[in-house]
Amino acid sequence: MKISNVLHLPAILAAALLALATLVEAEHTSNWAVLVCTSRFWFNYRHLANVLSIYRTVKRLGIPDSQIILMLPDDMACNPRNAFPGTVYSNADRAVDLYGDNIEVDYRGYEVTVENFIRLLTDRVGEEMPRSKRLLTDDRSNILVYMTGHGGNEFLKFQDAEEIGAFDLADAFEQMWEKKRYHEILFMIDTCQANTMYSKLYSPNIIATGSSELDQSSYSHHADNDIGVAVIDRYTYYNLEFLESEVRDTSSKKTVGDLFDSYTYEKIHSNAGVRYDLFRGGEEAARSRLLTDFFGNVQNVEVDGAKNSTIEEDLISLSKTIAALHKKYEEEEAALIKNSTAAARKKTTSQRKIQLAKPLTDDNWWTKKIAGATAIAGCALLWGVGSFFEGR
Amino acid sequence: MSAQPPSSLSTDDAPPVAVTNATSELKQPPAEKPSDIRRRGYVILSFWLIVLLLGLPIWWKTTTIYRADLPLQEMLDWSDGKACRPVFPLRISIQANSLQDQEAQNLLRLTQHALDDLNDFAGHHLRLQLSPPLGDEATSATNNGSALTIRLSPGEATTATLDPYEPTLDITYPPNNIPSPTASSSALATYVASQLRSTFGEEQATISYLLSTNSMPSEHRPLGLSPETVESLAKRTTRSLKYSPTYHLTFSLFTSGALPSSWDIETAIEEYMKPVLDVLSPIHNFTIDTQVQLYAAPGVQNDVLQKQDLSSFINAAEWPLSPSIGGAPTINFIVFVGNQTIVTSPESESSQSWLIPQWGTVYLLSQPWDTTHVSTETLKQPLLTFTSHLFSLLGTPQSGSLPLRLSTLTRIRSADLLLRASSTLGSLARLALALPSISIPSSVADGVSKTMTHLRLACDNLGGLDGLEHARIAEAEAERAFFEKSMVGQLFFPDEHKIAVYLPLLGPVAVPLIMGAINEFKAWRKRRREKAEKGAEKKKE
Repeated sequence: MKISNVLHLPAILAAALLALATLVEAEHTSNWAVLVCTSRFWFNYRHLANVLSIYRTVKRLGIPDSQIILMLPDDMACNPRNAFPGTVYSNADRAVDLYGDNIEVDYRGYEVTVENFIRLLTDRVGEEMPRSKRLLTDDRSNILVYMTGHGGNEFLKFQDAEEIGAFDLADAFEQMWEKKRYHEILFMIDTCQANTMYSKLYSPNIIATGSSELDQSSYSHHADNDIGVAVIDRYTYYNLEFLESEVRDTSSKKTVGDLFDSYTYEKIHSNAGVRYDLFRGGEEAARSRLLTDFFGNVQNVEVDGAKNSTIEEDLISLSKTIAALHKKYEEEEAALIKNSTAAARKKTTSQRKIQLAKPLTDDNWWTKKIAGATAIAGCALLWGVGSFFEGR
Repeated sequence: MSAQPPSSLSTDDAPPVAVTNATSELKQPPAEKPSDIRRRGYVILSFWLIVLLLGLPIWWKTTTIYRADLPLQEMLDWSDGKACRPVFPLRISIQANSLQDQEAQNLLRLTQHALDDLNDFAGHHLRLQLSPPLGDEATSATNNGSALTIRLSPGEATTATLDPYEPTLDITYPPNNIPSPTASSSALATYVASQLRSTFGEEQATISYLLSTNSMPSEHRPLGLSPETVESLAKRTTRSLKYSPTYHLTFSLFTSGALPSSWDIETAIEEYMKPVLDVLSPIHNFTIDTQVQLYAAPGVQNDVLQKQDLSSFINAAEWPLSPSIGGAPTINFIVFVGNQTIVTSPESESSQSWLIPQWGTVYLLSQPWDTTHVSTETLKQPLLTFTSHLFSLLGTPQSGSLPLRLSTLTRIRSADLLLRASSTLGSLARLALALPSISIPSSVADGVSKTMTHLRLACDNLGGLDGLEHARIAEAEAERAFFEKSMVGQLFFPDEHKIAVYLPLLGPVAVPLIMGAINEFKAWRKRRREKAEKGAEKKKE
C-alpha cells in the first residue's frame, strides 16, 4: 500500500506541474482598455489628446468600444477657447481629428472621480450602471490601463479636487486579482514622477511602465500655435510613434520588450521606468508578450474544417431528435400540469391575500412616521397660533 | 490751598505720583471666595466631562468603520475545498428483463467490481442498481433519478448503442455470456463496465480538470489525465462562456453593399435553432435580437482570408455589435454576405465559418450579387453551424447522445458554479483580512450566510437540476456579497492627511481645555502646599 502510494507520487507531481503549466500557458480571450485622463481645464489639452490618441490606437487595432472604458474629465472639442471647434488634435500638423464622428466617452466631466475609477476597477457598481460603463472582465481578459494627468510622489491628481494614492491603486488591482478579473495587465502612466505610482503594486501578472522617475517631470512634446497650448506629452508621443510605425495591424509580431527598448532619455527627457517583477515568468516572459495582446483584440479563432457536410447531416438528425424530445417533454408537462392545477389554484388564492400596500423598506419606518406627524402637528399649531393672533 | 492754575492739574507730575504709589503697594485683588474656586473647577470639569463622555464616543462612533462579522474560517474552508468534497454519485439502473433475479444480481455485483477497479477518481462515482424488471420505461428512466439506464437484452453478439432520445444504453449479449453464480469475473461485466467508463469518460475528465484547476487540496486531485486530454479540455474551457442564467443571442446580417437587405431569420431560427434552445431551457434562458447592416466593410479586405486575418475580420470599430442590451452576456452570430474564402492551409478545402472563443461565430455566405432576400433555405447551413457552435460556446461535451450530453452539461455547470462561488467566498475572506480599513456592511454578512446555505445544499444535491439551482443561487449571492456597492472608497489615508484634517479642527479647542486643566491643577497644588504650611506653622505655635 505504502509502496503504491510512493509510486503514485511522481504521477501526482507530474499532474500538478501539468496543471500549473496549462495555467501559465492559458490564453486570453478578450481585450479591454481603461483609458483615464484625470485633469480638466483648457491648458491641460494635451492630457485629453494623450488619452484620445491611445483610444484611436486601440480602436484601430480592434478593441471594440464596448470593451474600452474612456474617462474624459473635460470636453476640449467644445471648449470656447478651441479655435477648431468640435475637434481635438494631438499633433500640430492637425492631420487626424481625434474626436471624429465615432467616439464613445464612458465617464465624462465630473463623473471622473477617484471613487468611480476604483468602482470601475473593482466592479462595485449599482444595478443601475449600464453594461457599457462597466469593466466586465474575467480571468481570460487582458487589460490595458493607461492613465495621464498631473501626478506627484505616489499620487495622481483627479480633477484638481482629489487624488488617488499608489496604495489605493495597488489595493484595487489586488481586489481584481483576488476576484479573477484579469489575466494580464499592462499599466502605463504618463505623469510627473509617474514611476512612483506603480511602485506599490503587489498583484501578479502586471507589467508596469511610467514616464518619469521620482523628482522628475514629464514634459510635453510640442505646442500648436493656433490652438495655443501643448498638444501631446513626450512619453505618449513616442509610444504612439512606435505603435503607428511598427504595429500597423493586428498581425504585428512586435513585443512589449521592443516598445520598452525604444524609450530613451534623449526622446522623452525623463527616465521612463519599467516593472517586470510582478509578471509570472519575470522579465523574459513579460518582454516577449506581443503588443497586440494588450493594444489589440486578437483571439485564437477556431476555423471549422471542411467537414461541413457531415456536420450538417448530424445536425439535421440532432434537431429532429430534439424536436421529438421536445414533444415528449411537452406531453409530460401537460400531464404534470393537469395533476398540479388544483395545487396551483390553491397557491394563487393564498398569494392574493398578501396584496397589501407595503413600504419599500422597513428601516426607520416608525421614526419617519413620527417625524411626519410632528411636522404636520407643528404646521397645524403654527396655523392655529397665526389665526389666533389675526383674530385679536 | 493755593489757587493752583488749571494747568498744574496737567499730567506732568500727578501721574508719576500715582504710578509710584501703584508700584510700591500693588493692590492685590480680593482673595477668591472658595465658592468661586469651586465653581471654576466645576466649569472646567464639566467641559472635560462633555469632551470625554460625549465628544469622544461620538467621534469614535462616527469614524469607526463598520465591519460585520464574517465567518472567515468557514469561508476559507469553502474556497480550499475543505468544506465540500464534490462527489457526483451517478446512479445507473440496469434493466434486465430477460434475466433471472439471481443472475441479474450477480451480474450487477461483478460489473460494480469491475467499475470500481477501473475508477481512479473518487469524485465521480458510478453506482449500479437494478430497476424493477417490468417497470414502465418512461417512469423508470426519469423518475428514480438515475443518470443512465442500461437495457440488457439477449442477442447475437455483444454490442452497445446509445439511444439518441433517452439516456439509455442498449447492450445486447449472447446468452451464453451470463456469468455463473460462482464466477469471480465475467466478460460481459467487464464489457459493460468499460462501456460505461467510455460513456462517462469525457464528463469525468472534465470534472477532474475543473477540480484540478481550482484550488482543491491535492488528495482530491485526480491522476492520470493525459497531456492531450488536458490540452483539449483547456481549449474547451477557453472556448466556453462563463455560466449565466440568461444569454442574449444577436443574429446579424452584414453585407458590404446594398444587397441583400432582408432575410428570413425568424423562420430559420424557429426551424433550426428553437428546438435546441428549448432543450437547453432548464439550464439557460435565451433572448434573441436580429439586425441587418448594409455597407459594412470588414476589417480585412482580402478575398482570400488566411487564419491570422480571421481574428481581425470583425470591424469592431464600426460594426454595431455593442452588447449593452439588457444585463445578459451576448453571443454574436454573424452572417457576412461576401465572396471571401478562407484558406487555412494549401491542401485543405476552404471552409465557411469560424468560432471566436467566448464571443460567437462568423459565417461567410456567398450569394449572387443581385440577391435581395436571403431565404430560410439559404440560412439553413449557417444556422446549423451556429447551433453546433452554441453547444461548444456553452461548454457542452462533444461525445455521447444528446440527452446524456445535456445531463453532463448540468453536472459540469453545477461543479463550475460551486467552485466559483466557493472561490468568491475565499476572495472575500482574504480581502476582509488584507484590507482592515474596508467597511463590511451587514448585507455582505447576510449574503455570505445565504451563499453558504445554498452551497451546502448544492454540495449535497450535486448531479441534478436541484444542485444546479442551488449552485446558481449561491454563486449569485456570493457575487452580490463580493461586489457590494458600499465596500469601496478611498481605503488608505496617510498619517499626514489625518494630521492635516484633525489639527485645524481640534487644535483651537484643545489648547484652552488643556491649559485650563493645567492651570487649575497648579492652583490646586499651590493651595494644598499653602494649607500644609499653615498647618505646620500652627503646629509649631
